[in-house]
Parts: sequence; C-alpha cells; structure tokens
Amino acid sequence: MINDGQIYFEDVELGDEIGPLEKVASDEGVIDFCTLWGNPVPNRFTSEEEAAKANLPGPIVPGVMSMSLMAQLITDWAGPDGLKDLDVVFRQPVPHNKPLIITGTINDTRQEDGENIVQCDVLMTGTAGERYIIGTAVVSLPSRS
Amino acid sequence: MALELEYDRSLYGKEHEAGPFEVTEDMIISFNQSISQSGACYNDRDAAVKAGYRGIIAPPTLCTLFVRRVQLPDINLKFGKTRFHGGQRVQAKTPIVAGDSISASSHLKDVYAKTGRSGTMVFIVWETTFKNQLGEVVADVQESYAARE
Repeated sequence: MINDGQIYFEDVELGDEIGPLEKVASDEGVIDFCTLWGNPVPNRFTSEEEAAKANLPGPIVPGVMSMSLMAQLITDWAGPDGLKDLDVVFRQPVPHNKPLIITGTINDTRQEDGENIVQCDVLMTGTAGERYIIGTAVVSLPSRS
Repeated sequence: MALELEYDRSLYGKEHEAGPFEVTEDMIISFNQSISQSGACYNDRDAAVKAGYRGIIAPPTLCTLFVRRVQLPDINLKFGKTRFHGGQRVQAKTPIVAGDSISASSHLKDVYAKTGRSGTMVFIVWETTFKNQLGEVVADVQESYAARE
C-alpha cells in the first residue's frame, strides 16, 4: 500500500538516520500489555515486590512490548507494510516511565527478488546512553518508477 | 574446545500447536493503546479499507502475544542456573487483519553456546509460524532464551 508521506527507495542512502522516536512505557501501558498477553498481574513486569523476587532493580518492560515499541520506528517511517524482519537482542532491562530513544541507521540497500530492500541497525537507548536493545531491521520500500 | 551440550535432542522436528486465536478490533486497539500506536490503519477501519486492507490491521509484532500460549516442553538442558529472554525476531509476511483467526505452530530451532567477556551462555531458540484462516503465513517468530552459568 502507498501511504501519504511515503518514503521511496530512491530517497534513502547508506548511513541515513531513521528517527529518533521517543517512547515511554508507562505503568498503565505495561499492565494493559500484560493483560492482553495473558500474563496475570501482579508480576515482575508490574510489581516492585515481584521484580525484587526475580533480582530485578524494579518492574521492567516485557521484551515483547519493547520490541513492539521499536517496530514503530520502522512502520512510522516505511508504512504499515514496510517491516519485513526485526531481529533484536535484549541487552539490559528496560525501565518503566523513562524516555526510550529509538533510532535506526541504514547500513545496506539492495534489490532482492524484485523487492527494494533497506537494512538498518536499530537501537533503543536511555537518556544517559544506556543501550537497552540492539538489532537489525529489514525493510521493503516502494520505488518511484 | 567446543562445549558439549546435554539436552533433549529428540525434540527437533516436533511441532507444538496452539490456537486458533481470534484477533478482534478490540484486541488490536487495546494493543495499540498499550504501546501508544496511533497510526490510522491500525485504529480506523475506514482509513484501513481506504488504504486497501480488509479491515484494521495489527502492528506486525501483535502475534508475539500468542507465542507463549503454545505449551512448549522443557528441553532438559544441563547448563546454567539462570535463564532470561535473550532476543526475539519477527519476520512479517502479510498483515494480520481484525477478524482473522490465527494458529500457531512452534518447534525447537537451535541450541548453541556462545562465549564472550562475561563467560559462556547457551541459547535456546524456538521458532513459531503463525497462519491465518486462509492458510497464509502471517509471521515467523523466533524467541531466544539464554542460560547463564
């Protein structure tokens, strides 16, 4: 699907930055996510006490939720159909209620099986430089031609 | 010398199934609210249909909600005292649309050791394929669990 404000394959170059996208995972958002996920609350993602039992400094954002926040960087940029592959490594616990800065850097562009492929390094950091999540995204973009 | 890993290798090649899971508009909108996803095609049926979809679509990671509903066996890995969710991969194939019925099938993909500055970790990778009611693969999801000494 081609959306208003769509970015095209011809618009991007190696080294281009995507974002930053700033997100916050609120206490309420994490509780709602856990409920949808089928993870009964309280749990280590929602409760100080449960987090302490798991030797965590406090309740953390579930990895699957953090990944969903990261995916928005790509879908906001490339459109809903753009994201083909998102592969992430959880490096540090992601905290609630703090700014999470999500960025991407294009490291490859190629045509493959008739698709215009853009590959990016993606990163979620904290405001003090904490590297919470690193990963790679593969994106398909439409062509102007 | 390579670490000789001890675990239940008979699990390779076995599929573990779950579902179908009904994906409703309410579910997609609740998911969007929890992650502050306000995109029109994810929240507004008219906008989604205008863009060419059958209905509102789910963000590509929504299927990760269903991964742990597959009952997976213990692989009986004889390594490590602690385990944590080390990583995740989503390969999106076709959008999930409100009204879809999604089935999941998971299998053990890989078990491997990696040694770095903090010592050796063993990664257990499960792969889940999600299909819709039309038999189309909507996504493949890999979840990695790390075991640390």
